[in-house]
Amino acid sequence: MAQHKVNYTQNGGLPVALTSIDKIVNWGRSNSIWALTYGLACCGIEMMASGASRYDFDRFGTIFRASPRQADVMIVAGTLTKKHAEFIKRLYDQMTEPKWVISMGSCANTGGMFNTYATVQGVDRIIPVDLYLPGCAPRPETLQYGVMLLQKKIRANHASRAQKAKRLM
Amino acid sequence: MQVKNRLNPFFENISFDRVDNEMILNFGPQHPSAHGQLRLMLHLQQEMIVKAHPDIGYLHRGMEKMAENMIYNEFMPTTDRMDYIASSSNNYGFALAVERLIGLEVPRRAKVIRMMLLEINRVMSHLFWLATTALDIGAMTVFLFAFREREYLMDIIEGYCGARLTHSAIRIGGVPLDIQDSFISQLRTFLDKLPANIKDYEDLLDTNRIWLMRMEEVGTISKEMAISWGCTGPMLRASGVAWDLRKEEPYELYDEVEFRVPFSDKGDNFARYRIYMEEMRESAKILYQTIEMYEKCVRDGQTELMAHSPKYISASKLDIMTQNYSLMQHFVLVTQGMRPPVGEVYVATESPKGELGFYINSQGGPYPYRLKLRAPSFWHTGILTDLLPGHYIPDVVSIIGTTNIVFGEVDR
Amino acid sequence: MRAYKPKDNVQAKAYYTDRFFVSPQVAKFSPESDEVFAQDLEAIKSKFEVLDAYIQVGQMVVYIKPEDNFRVLKLMKKELTYTQLTEMSAIDWIAQRGGFEVFYQMLSMDKRKRIRIKMFIKKGEAVNSVEKLFRSADWSEREMFDMFGIEANGHPFMKRILMPYDWQGHPLLKTYPLQGDEFAAWYEVDKIYGKEARDAIGPELRDPAKVDRYDSERFARLGHEVPKGTKITGNEPKVVQNYQEDGGVFMIKKFDKKDSVVIDDPQR
Repeated sequence: MAQHKVNYTQNGGLPVALTSIDKIVNWGRSNSIWALTYGLACCGIEMMASGASRYDFDRFGTIFRASPRQADVMIVAGTLTKKHAEFIKRLYDQMTEPKWVISMGSCANTGGMFNTYATVQGVDRIIPVDLYLPGCAPRPETLQYGVMLLQKKIRANHASRAQKAKRLM
Repeated sequence: MQVKNRLNPFFENISFDRVDNEMILNFGPQHPSAHGQLRLMLHLQQEMIVKAHPDIGYLHRGMEKMAENMIYNEFMPTTDRMDYIASSSNNYGFALAVERLIGLEVPRRAKVIRMMLLEINRVMSHLFWLATTALDIGAMTVFLFAFREREYLMDIIEGYCGARLTHSAIRIGGVPLDIQDSFISQLRTFLDKLPANIKDYEDLLDTNRIWLMRMEEVGTISKEMAISWGCTGPMLRASGVAWDLRKEEPYELYDEVEFRVPFSDKGDNFARYRIYMEEMRESAKILYQTIEMYEKCVRDGQTELMAHSPKYISASKLDIMTQNYSLMQHFVLVTQGMRPPVGEVYVATESPKGELGFYINSQGGPYPYRLKLRAPSFWHTGILTDLLPGHYIPDVVSIIGTTNIVFGEVDR
Repeated sequence: MRAYKPKDNVQAKAYYTDRFFVSPQVAKFSPESDEVFAQDLEAIKSKFEVLDAYIQVGQMVVYIKPEDNFRVLKLMKKELTYTQLTEMSAIDWIAQRGGFEVFYQMLSMDKRKRIRIKMFIKKGEAVNSVEKLFRSADWSEREMFDMFGIEANGHPFMKRILMPYDWQGHPLLKTYPLQGDEFAAWYEVDKIYGKEARDAIGPELRDPAKVDRYDSERFARLGHEVPKGTKITGNEPKVVQNYQEDGGVFMIKKFDKKDSVVIDDPQR
């Protein structure tokens, strides 16, 4: 009989794990946060930089998806204008539950320096936001820290219980 | 569970109920290869585009209106957010326009530093262009390579002004700071590596069959069309007009440095790609020369970084802290703003994308009466109306890629 | 007494101007001082009425009559080699002179010269489209219409370009406030949720300096965060935000600083 190299009773016992449904679901959810490519303005460039070679977002399990139907988190990276506001709502509605929103940068948080007629003063007027990242534009490190905080938030959820949909109103 | 709202179902995406066998395809405004928020309504017959209707304005933030409500120095950070791939070039365009308006001459050392920043920004912008376009075509490796090099430059810029993306590194009348100690050595290290890096990209792309098929003979812009549409920069040079404002209307010290202006007669995507690559080499050449110029400035003991003009420009920090009159001037210039003379000026500079122009109409007040931003990408987006018909759907992405449009600039 | 605010110009005003302050002028030179410009001006003058012409900051400015604009630009393109229309837009002079100044910024690549053609139109008047001469005017004229409401006769597609089609008002008019009017303030809420949602969503917060430390809906005190909507008493305990829970995370190795390598040299 073949000798197993792994001692299932020690070292956390990989590849066998005993756990609760909550934990395993949250483990899965929090380590494969797929983000919607939603680069609207300057922050979108920093979002790309955090996905590129130096900052390497893939090690968080965050892969950018172009379709809202495959995405878990919407990173609103950049200024949301009044002309575009309709589309962020459409895209948010197309994402499947559970879904999260990171508002990246001052413009997305509050309108930022663009205190003008054409800018939505914060995306939280349109969709519910989980995390606000400060900065203009936030560094890739900020975005990655934000994603780690989001992972923590996801782990605090009870996945087995029915989730209440986030509502703005 | 969907929250109830008033948005109607969106059936514009694909519409089949046309009598003439024409299909309408909606592209964007959230599309990964639209380089921002471009929306295209494409009329298709089978795979062929017969009519294209670009729709912009999804990033219109009202910058021209903001300018009318801001003092001149206050507007500088806003210009960062125009062409956010190369923000120093916008800062520079605005600073130069105001300097021409009030008739300032910038000290030589500041000019050299400005040229360094401008050329670093050009290389950064072209690297970014290469990365994103290659990614759109499917060459992921080039994306990762080009971003790696771009990060080196970002480190250098960050050491200078503290920001990676939105620099605000240039002031009206000069530059705020001298370059840091490690600037030259880091830049040299980068520049020594750059030719090998560019060769890497070219090895990956130049003979790549996929790349050639997506690029060659696709998106051909004729000379007349490019001029009529107001194309500038690489878009114009790829269509056979050797027009570079750094050569034709030299500003700063561009008449003292040696560089070539690459241009091509073909006008297709591949020609534009070659021009971007050659321009990076030329920028590296300019950067080597500016390093020498800077070292000469240091040897000659030229330490001035800001022009001396108490009416318009604050004195140095040392003077403000030690001299009463300088402090008073500074207070007035910060709280009320400078008041340029009555008149108007249009100044064009060669930004990485093309001719970046600032038209300022001053009525003698601290706020510009009218400020028009002439952004090259606006017309490079407009040309898609005439350029796309006759092409196939896959060509759309490569054509948008090579036009190098940035939406902060298109919509302003 | 309320401060008087002029209705015809709601843009920012200098709050203090020395009563003896006379602002200087940017120097204007006669077109004769430059050979090329003098010839060009002669060519225009021989066929059209020129109201004023001078050179300012190295570029010639020519004032023409608005009805001549198409023919002047045609002459400049065909005969004077000003082949590129670099930029065109308008300036709002309604409060002072009851109209707009429209300018065309022309570039001749052969002569390396720039000329600015300017003309004055009354409010409500339209300009002749130059889209047939320069394709770039296609979008510029649409932008001018969008921003100022100046229509161009003979333009193939005279619609808004930057603002949505259902927008009201023309943003770059001096009577239009920077932060938008009532319509602009509720535009996205009305469009997405309807007018009845205005109360629930609330007005825009337009004061960038506003911080209310007793408001836990909109603000969070860094390091002392409380759940949204909690009543703030002022002695909230310090909350340390870590990116991971204290006991570690299920199946994830905790990052250990001792075992990691720190690279200082960014140019390695």
